[in-house]
Amino acid sequence: MPTILQARDLTKLYQPGMTSVDALRGVSLDIQEGEFVALMGPSGSGKSTLLQLLGGLDQPSSGDVILAGQQISRLSEDQATRLRRSETGFVFQFFNLIPLLDVTENIGLPFRIAGQNPNKGELKTRIADVIDLVDLKGKERHKPDQLSAGEQQRVAVARALVTRPAILFADEPTGNLDYHTGLELLDALWASCHDRGQTVVLVTHDSKAAAYADRVLVMNDGRIHDQIVLGRRETHETGPLIARLAQLGL
Amino acid sequence: MLALVPLAWRSLTARRVRTLLTVIGIALGVGMLYASLATSLGIEQAVDRTVLEMIGRADLRVAAFEEQGLSEASVAAIRATPGVALAAPSLERRLYVRRAGGGTAAGPVTVLGIDPVLNPQVHDMPLVNGSAITSAGEPSALITERLAREDGYGIGSELTLQAAGEPMKIKIVGIVAGDGPINGAAGRTVIVAIGLAHKVFAATGVTRVDIRVVDGTSPTTVTAALTSRLTADPYVLSTPPDLEASLRATTADFQATLAMIAAVSLFVGAFLVFNTLSLTVIERSREVGLLRAAGATRLQVLWYVMSGAMVLGVLGSLLGLGTGAALGSLVGMGVQATGAAPYEQPRLSAETVAIAAWIGLFVTLVAALEPAWRATRITAIESLRLRIDPGSARRARLRWLVVIFVSVGAVGLLAWPRAAGDLMALRSLAVYGLLLVATILSPLFIAPLARIVGLPFVVLMRLDERLARGSLSRDRSRTALTMGALSVGLAMIVAIGGVAQEARATATAWLANVIPGDEIATSIRPVGLGEPVTVALKAIPGVGSVTPIATFDIAFRGVRLDAAAVVGADFLSDNRLSFEEGSRSDALNGLDTGGSAILARSTADRLGLRVGSTMAFTGGAGKALNLRVAGIVERSIPGRSGETVLVGWTDATGFFGIDGADFFAVRYLPGRQASTQGAFEDAARSLALEPATLNRVQGAVTDALGRVFGLFDALALIAVLIAALGIVNTLSMSVLERVRELGILRATGMTGRQVARMVMVEAGILGLVGSVIGIGTGLAAGAMMMGLGTGFRIAFEPPWLIMGLAVALGFLVSMAAAYYPARLASRISIIRAVQFE
Ligand SMILES: Nc1ncnc2c1ncn2[C@@H]1O[C@H](COP(=O)(O)OP(=O)(O)OP(=O)(O)O)[C@@H](O)[C@H]1O
Ligand SMILES: [Mg+2]
Repeated sequence: MPTILQARDLTKLYQPGMTSVDALRGVSLDIQEGEFVALMGPSGSGKSTLLQLLGGLDQPSSGDVILAGQQISRLSEDQATRLRRSETGFVFQFFNLIPLLDVTENIGLPFRIAGQNPNKGELKTRIADVIDLVDLKGKERHKPDQLSAGEQQRVAVARALVTRPAILFADEPTGNLDYHTGLELLDALWASCHDRGQTVVLVTHDSKAAAYADRVLVMNDGRIHDQIVLGRRETHETGPLIARLAQLGL
Repeated sequence: MLALVPLAWRSLTARRVRTLLTVIGIALGVGMLYASLATSLGIEQAVDRTVLEMIGRADLRVAAFEEQGLSEASVAAIRATPGVALAAPSLERRLYVRRAGGGTAAGPVTVLGIDPVLNPQVHDMPLVNGSAITSAGEPSALITERLAREDGYGIGSELTLQAAGEPMKIKIVGIVAGDGPINGAAGRTVIVAIGLAHKVFAATGVTRVDIRVVDGTSPTTVTAALTSRLTADPYVLSTPPDLEASLRATTADFQATLAMIAAVSLFVGAFLVFNTLSLTVIERSREVGLLRAAGATRLQVLWYVMSGAMVLGVLGSLLGLGTGAALGSLVGMGVQATGAAPYEQPRLSAETVAIAAWIGLFVTLVAALEPAWRATRITAIESLRLRIDPGSARRARLRWLVVIFVSVGAVGLLAWPRAAGDLMALRSLAVYGLLLVATILSPLFIAPLARIVGLPFVVLMRLDERLARGSLSRDRSRTALTMGALSVGLAMIVAIGGVAQEARATATAWLANVIPGDEIATSIRPVGLGEPVTVALKAIPGVGSVTPIATFDIAFRGVRLDAAAVVGADFLSDNRLSFEEGSRSDALNGLDTGGSAILARSTADRLGLRVGSTMAFTGGAGKALNLRVAGIVERSIPGRSGETVLVGWTDATGFFGIDGADFFAVRYLPGRQASTQGAFEDAARSLALEPATLNRVQGAVTDALGRVFGLFDALALIAVLIAALGIVNTLSMSVLERVRELGILRATGMTGRQVARMVMVEAGILGLVGSVIGIGTGLAAGAMMMGLGTGFRIAFEPPWLIMGLAVALGFLVSMAAAYYPARLASRISIIRAVQFE
């Protein structure tokens, strides 16, 4: 399978005020098309930072990210934005939706931003399609504050998927949800990956969530500490993952 | 209680731009107030000084109407009138003096002859040097300090006065301070005993007699007695209150409008403070919640907000004094340039300065009370909320505006210029109240209006329009506050524009109604009716009628009136003048036969005359004339300071001593104006007349009006400027509040430029909605300004140009104000926005 995302020797140095923080200290990785990858690691290990660099939300201090064949560090801010618009989708832990817009409008937002009319033809079908995928039929006209937290996150997933991005990034999307709602969201992500070949990178603390992945990258102190290959499993059983994590002392 | 005050300071410095803009807003409001107070003071001081200089401590003044002055008989009659305690005569004439050493003439001086004994009892004449004059002994004189300096005289110098009689050598015995007692003598006055003055001018009359009445007698009784006794010479009688009232009449409107603009600016400034602090409280509600959780009392929280307001108020008021001083002198220059009112550089007491500063601080604190109170209602639970969402409980309450309004209004009444009477105060309050009502009602209109004005944006930027409009309707009271300030400022401009246009239209219609011609030919010398000018002009092919008109002064019952001599038949055939009482043809024909007068409605009302009343005039040397009021017209020909009394030429030449016409009104034959005008104007010039079309005359009148209203409009712009500062604050705050939302948009692929554009669209819609509401309110306010006092006149021609300008101004000001918030929005870090705090 072709490589869709490559990172080479990524470092990130935050300099808030007088001090400086080495959030990433040289990270390299390859992600194949259609893969479901989970990033785990203790708090402050650099997971979110890595995700932001991979998705082009921020620029690395050094190193390269190559997304869908384009070297992000070479792009201007506007070019990076456009690449992000067409090739990536993001789901964050909080505040994913624009409160003013209803479900359909929120999902159609990337099209609107790109200057397309999401109420017509193919785009309309695509939106209906992702609404179907995340199981939100019948709630198209609801505003975010009329949805549960889990439904809100599923809208966010639907929006991230609607442009058919090369890769979907999710940073602790279930962090704010209860057990069952969390599973519903993970099922939606899994469905997109399994049924449609969507590449997914998921940051999580939860081994239950990480167990959906084909491969788990374990981070520690700004580096990829280890890699656990689980392979594709319909059951998402957590046993093998927990055993490996225990071996690593996590 | 004050434990949180340092935190308040920090909260101000954390949002420097907002703090700075708010301080500037307060400063502009206070500055406008200060400028208005200072200008009013300058006007009042000028009026007071004029009154004092003119009449001094006299209770009445009888002034001669004609050059030869009041005769000895008149002076004697005054002295003999019961109730007159003292009558001090004086003579005032101009002449040229020779320089001390003989030689060249050194410019004109005014000679004032006084009674050395009586005069000091009514007029002060402070000496800087030397001693007063006496009637006895060697001829002596006082001169002004300025004359002494300019022409090089000193005590003991000799002065040669020469007029009608023998040259007279007079010794200077004293120097009078400054420019001396006579206003308008350019400071060059020579004061001598009146007997000496009579010798110099070989005259016997006096220019005026200043009267003090017996204690306990009312000047009105004495006035009545004088009127019946003074039959020998024409005269004008004035009292200090009359004089003051007539001077004030011209200034009252001006001062009232100025005060109203100041009140509105201050009100808009209060909007700004209220809005900014409300925003700050919402923004800091989590912090306040934490403080409450940590045990801060409500009182501490109250002080936390109020001390912030105090800092804003003190800084704003101090800066405002500086701004006000600059603005005040600009307005003063404007007043002098437009000639709208008498004005002199005001001597400002520390009190005036303090009043402006205190009012600024007071208004700021009143505006801060409600946000402060709202802050105290924030509970500890607030700190646990995830989303900063302006819940209804924390929304700015528009009702509070009423309190602010009443406070500013009350303060405004305290500082109300005393010259502008109760009716003006009422009118200003009504207009001011209308502005408030419009602001309070505006939330109802925001959503529908935003939809309408958003339409043009929909075509180009659908999403931006949708999001921008949504963001404006999210917290309507905040939007209403922000926009309200803009609307109020624009409303003032539109209202003033409407009034100005109406005034111009009235002036134009007035002239067209009373002048029987398309063109006016003015002469610098009186053109006798016997001269062939009229005939020559009428002979030009295409000229229909030529009618001579003269304007002059007459004295009636001790009052100076403007008068005009006209040919009644010409007015009749040209169908000029709107008669309210009396028969048109009888009245106009009556002018030509003599013995009749036509009055304007305002003159008739002022003098209490009706059709059929008789006006008795006294000429010099016992001549007398009775004119019957034959008609009353809506408007008459404008004179120097009012509408003229129309009389026929027979009476004008026979009794009032008029030699000829000042101007000719010329009517072209129908459709011949274009072809005749050139020939006519050439002919007129060859006859030493200055031709001008009626349009041009109207233009000159309306230009003068335009300048005064332009000054007001410029001042109302300050309110718009303050509103712009409010827009910057609100939009910035709304951007900061939506950081997460904007972060999501950016993460979803919106470019920085797109985000900035969205904020601009928001501002554009805000500006347009504000303009629409402002125009509506302004038209209503304009109708009110014109209507109150003169009977309601709701239907006036809308000032389209000003309305168009107001829309453009509202839009552009909002767009300019959006620049900073838009930049702020485009620079939002996506990562920070989507992180949990
Ligand atoms: N904007 C920033 N400025 C300064 N330091 C930062 C910034 N963002 C992250 N860091 C630091 O970089 C390091 C990595 O942060 P990061 O958010 O990537 O960790 P994480 O693995 O996502 O942690 P968590 O599991 O708590 O979300 C941390 O030490 C953090 O304090
Ligand atoms: Mg993280």
